[in-house]
Amino acid sequence: MAAIRNTLLLAALLVLLIAVPPFLGLGWQNALVNVLIASLFALAFNLLIGQAGLLSFGHAAYFGIGAFAALHLMIAIEDGFPFPTPLVPLAGAAAGLLIGLIAGYFATMRSGVYFALVTLAIAELFHSLAPRLEAVFGGESGISSMRMPWSDITFGSMLEVYYLTLAWVLICGLGLWAYTRTPFGRLTLALRDNEQRVRFLGYSTHSVKVIVFAVSAMLTGVAGSLQAISNETANYSLFASDVSAQVVLQTFVGGSTVFFGPVIGAAVFTLFSFLVSDLTRSWVLYQGLIFVLVMLYAPSGIGGVLQHHIRNRRQLDWRPLSGLYLLALAGGVLITAGTVFLTETVAVLFGEEYAVARRNAGGSLPAYELFGAHWDPTDIFTWLLPLVLLAGGGAITVSTRRHVTAFWNRGGGSRDTAARPVSLGGAA
Amino acid sequence: MTGTNLDQPALRLAGVKKSFGPIEVIRGLNLDIRAGERHAIIGPNGAGKSTLFNLISGMFAPSAGEISLNAQSIAGLSPHRINRAGLARSFQITNIFHRLSVFENLRIGVLARHGVRYGLFRPVSRMRQVNDETIEVLTRVGLEARSNDPAGDLTYSEQRALEIGMTLTTGAQVILLDEPTAGMSREETAKAMDLIRTVTEGKTLLMVEHDMGVVFGLCDRVSVLVYGNVLATDTPERISANREVQEAYLGQEAS
Amino acid sequence: MEFAIISTLNGVTYGLLLFMVSAGLTLIFGMMGVLNFAHASFYMLGAYIAYAVSSVFGFWVGIAVAPVVVGLIGMAVERFLLPRVHAHGHAHELLLTFGLALIIEELIKLFFGDFPVNYQMPGGMRFSAFSIFGADYPFYRIFIGGMAVVMFTALWVLLTRTRTGIVVRAAERLPAMAEALGHNIPMVFMFVFGTGAALAGLAGAVAGAFYPTNPNMGIELGVIVFVVVVVGGLGSLKGSLVASLLIGLFSSFAVGLDWSLASLLGVIGLGDWARSFGGLMTLKLSSISATIPFALMLIVLLVRPAGLMGERN
Repeated sequence: MAAIRNTLLLAALLVLLIAVPPFLGLGWQNALVNVLIASLFALAFNLLIGQAGLLSFGHAAYFGIGAFAALHLMIAIEDGFPFPTPLVPLAGAAAGLLIGLIAGYFATMRSGVYFALVTLAIAELFHSLAPRLEAVFGGESGISSMRMPWSDITFGSMLEVYYLTLAWVLICGLGLWAYTRTPFGRLTLALRDNEQRVRFLGYSTHSVKVIVFAVSAMLTGVAGSLQAISNETANYSLFASDVSAQVVLQTFVGGSTVFFGPVIGAAVFTLFSFLVSDLTRSWVLYQGLIFVLVMLYAPSGIGGVLQHHIRNRRQLDWRPLSGLYLLALAGGVLITAGTVFLTETVAVLFGEEYAVARRNAGGSLPAYELFGAHWDPTDIFTWLLPLVLLAGGGAITVSTRRHVTAFWNRGGGSRDTAARPVSLGGAA
Repeated sequence: MTGTNLDQPALRLAGVKKSFGPIEVIRGLNLDIRAGERHAIIGPNGAGKSTLFNLISGMFAPSAGEISLNAQSIAGLSPHRINRAGLARSFQITNIFHRLSVFENLRIGVLARHGVRYGLFRPVSRMRQVNDETIEVLTRVGLEARSNDPAGDLTYSEQRALEIGMTLTTGAQVILLDEPTAGMSREETAKAMDLIRTVTEGKTLLMVEHDMGVVFGLCDRVSVLVYGNVLATDTPERISANREVQEAYLGQEAS
Repeated sequence: MEFAIISTLNGVTYGLLLFMVSAGLTLIFGMMGVLNFAHASFYMLGAYIAYAVSSVFGFWVGIAVAPVVVGLIGMAVERFLLPRVHAHGHAHELLLTFGLALIIEELIKLFFGDFPVNYQMPGGMRFSAFSIFGADYPFYRIFIGGMAVVMFTALWVLLTRTRTGIVVRAAERLPAMAEALGHNIPMVFMFVFGTGAALAGLAGAVAGAFYPTNPNMGIELGVIVFVVVVVGGLGSLKGSLVASLLIGLFSSFAVGLDWSLASLLGVIGLGDWARSFGGLMTLKLSSISATIPFALMLIVLLVRPAGLMGERN
């Protein structure tokens, strides 16, 4: 039953993904391409942390490698190399696999936090080397190419790029799903639970980890090459630590213990950044705050919380619970409003434009504009407003949280083991 | 397997030493385990029993000496190589995959035996032979009813049974059990003894055991380990009559 | 000769700076098992706080206030945030501090902008310590190195000679036992975390006036510090000292060397063949000095996976 329902849900989602984009504007089509790419990136990353218990802080390396490999192939196609454009991501897959095998060989020599540090350092190695290697990475400016037509498809429109990306992401996502059902996929889970025992059952855990790492790097390379196809350019900033950081944030906010959790995180963050990045410069700060809040209060992520509720949906008394959740939502909205107001105020007051305005006003503090209103920084009300929002929201949230906890403890649902968050394989 | 040759021990330790820093834990130990026998290691705490198991199974490499399995040297090999050479061990502290189902815990080992260690291109649910053999082990250790439960949810004695089951799955002919009945009640111990007896039929068993009842009921020979060396090896009856042993070990226990 | 002496001096001062930051990291890890990803952010925070304070109250007040404030922030993190995720294991502690690092970096950008701030040493310290081969050697480099040495002597004395230090070392080995003996271990943990953070803050306050103070300084130094602990072995102060100096020296020598793979192959007569490839072959060591620490780390991983001073895990 459950399997049929899930299949139907996925089929409906697939129909939406295919049917809706032609009716969307270019900006939205582009945003959806980015969502798809980020989803594949996060799924590939989560193969390591969610399944094998290996936390990589340097996945930008394989994303970048995939992008550059694809661009080199695209340049070759431009020069007349007969290769179908839709298959360009194969170059990213091959490059990701190869570099993943080498990097994975080194990184998996250590476990636990050391693994995280080595992966980070390997990504920085690429980041520091890439601007110096003109031939491969095009120096500081990077390399560019054009999507060449293949058979009847010109790849001139964003919509065509979207469908190409969708096809690749679906294939790779299904591949990852199938992976979890192979003997090696089960072994990966065993490795996460207890590396020592795996070794005493006759497996070389180093080889297992290298292979998992390489598979993850390969699919990350596909994601990178899809990005290259969409942007038609890439430079060394793809290797930067914030690219690696993004995928960590998205995966854990989405939930690394649930297969589709990373997709939730990738979609939410990518769409949000599409919607708000024009409005605020502090988007990354908000992302960081959301991430830390999730780590503190819902370590299994959005996906984990959803799964927990779906599993217990029949035992739950939804009426009181939904009331509590509405209250919590109200508290959250107040806190968000207060935080955003404070942050944006600081951004304005410490910004360069305001410094100029101050100079023009002869050193005093002139009023500033925010959210379509004028605010006077010397007026106590300007500061009281966010503080009241924060205090009110905080009070509501804290008391609601107590009630929600009591509700669950009263046997509103069982604690299931799947909601347990990740652990690093092996102690340091 | 070639282990049926009676002249050739299944497992031979010759002059094995192991030091941690300045402390020598195993001091030139010699021991032959005959093919097909059930052999117990007893000894006071700190005698080096766990270290000995860790040396044989490849957790540590010996500082000196030779360990051979069916006349083939295994000293200093990595654990997975020793396992593939035909030696499997259990752990004193339960060492299972807590979040995987009981069935999956056992299947990991069965897969290793079938050599599909890195199978990436076929769902495991279609591997008939592997799943059948897993069910067989599952039945032998009496955990059919818990097949789909996460191993972490099992009771202590069930986890111990699973631990023994996992040791069997890779098809090793030489089995090392580290205190398989530790912490069990009397009835549980009796059940565990029956289980160990049936599942090690036709195999070579080396076990560390504190419960003398288990040793007498199960084992053909006993070695007494004191201060990193074998004090005596003999049948359980003659060991318990051995004066030297009584002084070194049994007497100490009684006092 | 001239090159060797100056490179050695530069390398040792840079190495000591690395040690100032990595020591706190490794101390915290050894004791609490927490890899504090935000540690390098504490370093950056120290520089910015010192900058902000010194612009009003003068350089020395800034140097004094920065480590105190950063230390208090560190204590607050240990006291209020880490216990919340402790039950979920070390991975979540690592992830939490990773999130904090991100927030600190963004907050600094929010208040101080994306570009370097003008944090300078006082004019009175801008003189050369001595002249060597006709070149002036800046006093401030010596000052940074000296600061590190003083700090570590103090830390060493604290750890080995005082009662608190002995409790800290006992708690590092057997926290439960130390607690059972009546020591307030949560307090000790908070103190160690705060001290580690304060050390990083002090390093930032001192070094920020010499090296550029910008929002990238945290991650830039942080990555090198992580390399230091991988090479030296986490939890070993001695290991991080050796690794810090090693990486400091390698980096500073690399800046001045025009060696390339091609010139190395030239030794066995393959120079021209290698040069015809270009790319990686003709890349000068001096232009990739930023890459040296990572290469060193990979070599150490191959030769001694557990790190120079680490135990096999």
